[in-house]
Amino acid sequence: MSNLFIDGITSFIQSTGLAKLFTATEGTALAFAGVDFGSIVMLIVACVLIYLAIGKQFEPLLLLPISFGMLLANLPFSNLMHNVLFVGSGEEHFVMSFSDILHKGGLLDLLYLGVKLGIYPSLIFIGIGAMTDFSPLIANPKSLLLGAAAQLGVFVAFFGALFLGFSIMEAMSIGIIGGADGPTAILVTKTLAPKLLPAIAIAAYSYMALIPIIQPPIMKLLTTKKERLVKMDNLRPVSKLERLLFPIIVTIVVGLIVPDAVPLVGCLMLGNLFKESGVAERLSKTVQNELMNIVTIFLGVTVGATASADTFLRAQTLYIVVLGLVAFSISTAGGLLFGKLMYVLTKGKVNPLIGSAGVSAVPMAARVAQTVGQKEDPTNFLLMHAMGPNVAGVIGSAVAAGVFLAMAKVL
Amino acid sequence: MENITQGAVVAVIGICTVFAVLAILWGVLELMRVIFTAKDKKAKAPAPAVATPASATAPVEDDSELIAVLTAAIAASLNQSTYNLKIKSYRRVETAPVWNRTARRDNLNG
Repeated sequence: MSNLFIDGITSFIQSTGLAKLFTATEGTALAFAGVDFGSIVMLIVACVLIYLAIGKQFEPLLLLPISFGMLLANLPFSNLMHNVLFVGSGEEHFVMSFSDILHKGGLLDLLYLGVKLGIYPSLIFIGIGAMTDFSPLIANPKSLLLGAAAQLGVFVAFFGALFLGFSIMEAMSIGIIGGADGPTAILVTKTLAPKLLPAIAIAAYSYMALIPIIQPPIMKLLTTKKERLVKMDNLRPVSKLERLLFPIIVTIVVGLIVPDAVPLVGCLMLGNLFKESGVAERLSKTVQNELMNIVTIFLGVTVGATASADTFLRAQTLYIVVLGLVAFSISTAGGLLFGKLMYVLTKGKVNPLIGSAGVSAVPMAARVAQTVGQKEDPTNFLLMHAMGPNVAGVIGSAVAAGVFLAMAKVL
Repeated sequence: MENITQGAVVAVIGICTVFAVLAILWGVLELMRVIFTAKDKKAKAPAPAVATPASATAPVEDDSELIAVLTAAIAASLNQSTYNLKIKSYRRVETAPVWNRTARRDNLNG
């Protein structure tokens, strides 16, 4: 009788997370003397990120689910997430088994399928499309080139990552941080380098939150006061027909040239057509609000949950954070320099500051251009002019992602 | 080293494609603009609007009653005596659209 009681208590104690933390087997990340420091550090990292999301309001809508997902997944024995099912445990050629995932997977494993199969980024893009007004771009199509120039950082960081010893696939995923577009980065990374997903997603979203700090010094450094003072002509009004045709034309043109960009650009334009058509208001509202919010929760929690000690606590993560910053800064510089070129070519009609908005973080980057412009001249309103390159940047980084995905297939 | 050369190829192709795609879109959009603005010009019939200068000269009236009301209202809201207040000028703040005024009235009454 008493034996049964003691056995019961012992097996209960052994099933607690605490027991797991202090009986770690050697070989798991950062385990010393039987203590699983890896999980402990990850729990602390998760709490710090939760603080940044709530206390400092860094992209809280994403960082909060990401950080809590990290917390959930790193509780020993919680069985919500099994990274092994998706990336294997070090085999050379790991093949993901859906049957295993469905049979052994926990809640987060099942939700993570939406990331793994590339469902969430596309659904989010439908919502972004429905929230985006492309008319500043239609009125001033030149700004498309600024959106292209601001992808420079993507390719520079890609190169930098190769020099630091990352494989080509990993380097592509790191480079795409420079596109400043969370869903795009996630779509590329989950396909090409799933192990880097948490680090890249967190880097991409943190830098988007830091845009107002990162960009202005670069903008001031690369432009003269005279250039910053340029006032641009009013944008022409855009007719409804043009706004209707735009999403259709863009989908066809981009889809025919870079088919791999269709999951992003196609969905972006679908959402935009919902909005501009004026006949599908209910759909437009749903994709902007309910669908977007639900998908954001699933995406955030599961991306956070992929951050386990053995994939996250590595020197690689630090490299990714640094390369991400480089990518971001060079993208900003690329847009600005192209803006300066346009300033010269148009004989001073284009304010180069709007080039920095070519990084696709909508609408933060455009707001930064506006603020920096207004510091020089409070009567200068660059916001609408900067929205053109800004939304062009979304298309640009989606195209860059498509190119990477296509190249990865042939390499 | 092989990685770097391969990477260079990828980067060059990549940046060229991005520029090419967006440049093509630029071309298409310019084309669209030309087509539509050309159409617009034809459709635009000369219809000069005749501006009718509004002769809005407010009738001069005795506003001492209004000032008394305003003083009382301010005194009530500041919890002060009317002796501490002196209204130097007043100006109607807004001519809000009818829906705004309705909403405000509903809020006050409800």
